[in-house]
Amino acid sequence: MSGVVWAVIRREYLQRVRSRWFVIATVAGPLLMLGLILVPALIASRGQEADRQLAVVDRTGVLYERVAEGLERAGYTVERADDGTDVEATLAARIESDEIGGFLVLDQATIDRGHARLTATSRPSIVRQVAFQQILVQAALEARLGGSDPGVRALLDGGDLEVSVVSDGGVGFDDAAFLASYIGAFLLYMTILLYAVSVMRSVLEEKSNRVVEVVISSMRPFQLMLGKILGVGAVGLTQLLIWALSGALIVGAGIPALLAANPQFAALSEFRQFLPGIGYAGLFAVFFVGGYFMYSGLYAAVGAMCNTDEEAQQAQFPVIMLLMVPIVFVTQVINEPNAGLSVGLSLVPFFSPILMFARAAGGAAPLWQVGLSVLGMAVTVVVIAWVAGRIYKVGILMAGKRPTLPELWRWVREA
Amino acid sequence: MHDARPAVRLRGVTKRFGSHTAVDGLDLEIPRGSLYGLLGPNGSGKTTTIRMIMGILHPDEGTVDLLGSDDPDDTRRRRVGYLPEERGVYRKMKVLDFLVFMGEIRGVPRGEGRRRAGDWLDRLGLPEWADRKTEDLSKGMQQKVQFIATVLHEPDFLILDEPFSGLDPINQDVLEEIVRDFHERGTTILFSTHLMDQAERLCQRVCLISRARKVLDGGLRGLKVAERRGVLAVAFDGPEAWLDGPGVNSREAVGDAIHLLLADDADPQAILRRGIDAGAVIRRFELVEPRLHEIFVRHAGADAAVDAGIPRDRVPVAGGVS
Repeated sequence: MSGVVWAVIRREYLQRVRSRWFVIATVAGPLLMLGLILVPALIASRGQEADRQLAVVDRTGVLYERVAEGLERAGYTVERADDGTDVEATLAARIESDEIGGFLVLDQATIDRGHARLTATSRPSIVRQVAFQQILVQAALEARLGGSDPGVRALLDGGDLEVSVVSDGGVGFDDAAFLASYIGAFLLYMTILLYAVSVMRSVLEEKSNRVVEVVISSMRPFQLMLGKILGVGAVGLTQLLIWALSGALIVGAGIPALLAANPQFAALSEFRQFLPGIGYAGLFAVFFVGGYFMYSGLYAAVGAMCNTDEEAQQAQFPVIMLLMVPIVFVTQVINEPNAGLSVGLSLVPFFSPILMFARAAGGAAPLWQVGLSVLGMAVTVVVIAWVAGRIYKVGILMAGKRPTLPELWRWVREA
Repeated sequence: MHDARPAVRLRGVTKRFGSHTAVDGLDLEIPRGSLYGLLGPNGSGKTTTIRMIMGILHPDEGTVDLLGSDDPDDTRRRRVGYLPEERGVYRKMKVLDFLVFMGEIRGVPRGEGRRRAGDWLDRLGLPEWADRKTEDLSKGMQQKVQFIATVLHEPDFLILDEPFSGLDPINQDVLEEIVRDFHERGTTILFSTHLMDQAERLCQRVCLISRARKVLDGGLRGLKVAERRGVLAVAFDGPEAWLDGPGVNSREAVGDAIHLLLADDADPQAILRRGIDAGAVIRRFELVEPRLHEIFVRHAGADAAVDAGIPRDRVPVAGGVS
């Protein structure tokens, strides 16, 4: 690559990376992520110790083991309280002194109709109440059925429907895959748009600063456009890399360290499963680069044919529409990743960055389809570079009104 | 070392934008080492001509030959310094960074660019601005910075499009001095202006264009001598209606005299007789060396003179060019 392109890349890159905006956005991203993880965890773990300590008074003689097991699975610490005349008063006093969070009294009514009494410092949430009831009903049924039979528990758990699929279409993702592809698709949409628009602004700035003519006298317009796109793209990759690394650091190192020091944050360890793997990051990078090259080329052309931000706002409309289509379809595609429509749409180069990524991130797209979409994007990038380069070449020196479509076509033909 | 070929040679160059012809069959030769003025009113095709020399636009017809080079792109980049009329700076960049970048895209290594930029900022009285953003500069200072950016790579050919527009007289003098300095060191300089007086002060050779066509070109001295028959300076007391008559295209007050621009077939004797008959007391009656804009008006016509921003009341047409 020639020296002038490097000079342009360097200028675009350094000017952006040194800007206050970049520093703030880059630092704010991981901080926001940290906040999203820590705040719920802190709320969840607040006051946990005493509240989660339960005493169980079992007057049936058969329920305690089963109930205690259920409660422990739900995260409670359970102790057996020996029955006596004033046991309830004693336990109430222990609640008062914050030793335990509450106590549960089980008697014949529990076995008969699932009734039990819970005395606690505060009313548990509906979700917890339902969980308590399930534990009680399950224990009661097991007791009645004489239940060492593991089948009873499976039945009580709601059974298990095994799905096997003969055709290609219609398998949804499990929760983790759904989340991974959904979040990733939106992140791709946002970052591609953000940096492609940034290229447009840069073109506009050179036009309105009127610095472009002197720059263009030292290099070909295409070199300037290329340098600009590569420079801004490098900024995008830098930012994503910093975010990915700090995310990995937080989830991979930060949280285990936190857990080691503060075991009460145990709930945080669940975030581990959200840490995307190298494959996911690589997929993201490939589709970011492909999408960014396509859309930044289009945006460079839009910038070149406009003179003001207001004009550009209007002129970018068709490009935005192109980027909105996959966002409109993304939920449907994730729900039915192998339906004909999903496969078709995800193979359209302009939609691939979002839709093919969404399918591939959930593991639904065969490798050949991913490869085909990457090839499609590569070809599109070349075509866009050719067309946008010509529009750019004529447009950057053009003042006055925006070209009409026929005029634009003439630019492309004659440039 | 000395190369006899011209710095620029244009042959029959035509450029059209849609139905509008911006430059029409222009022939132009700029000798090496000359200080050459491209003159004409706004919209006459100066900037289009320069953009074609710079390879930013391509002529529809004709050829452009720059410094006799086989690789015009590289020649332009390394050997030509171009200050466009539409000039600007990257507003968020520091002055020094901007200059280093401008040098870099013309092949000056960054370290060397930094050194040269520093020297130039010192020379033009802006050393304390090196680390400030360009948007903080005043318009005049910005123009100086742009000029530095134009010459940082030490070009042998400078193309300056309206270089002094928008400058106050003091800064104008500073830049004129530097332009002369480059000329004395052998740099070929092409500069365009619509201000005839300025061209007259600076240039050796000029090309006058009007409405996309060349009006005339040549060495300034030669033109003036050749045009000597064309301008009559008169001073008198009494009526002045006799000034407007056959043989006089237009008139203009210059100092305490009136300059009459004569038609080609004018007979000065007849004009003198007309004055005496009208009762004027003639104090001065002399064929003088014309000023550049008088040459321009004589050849391009009064309408072109109006294009050139010369007020119409200074060129009353009386039975002259139709």
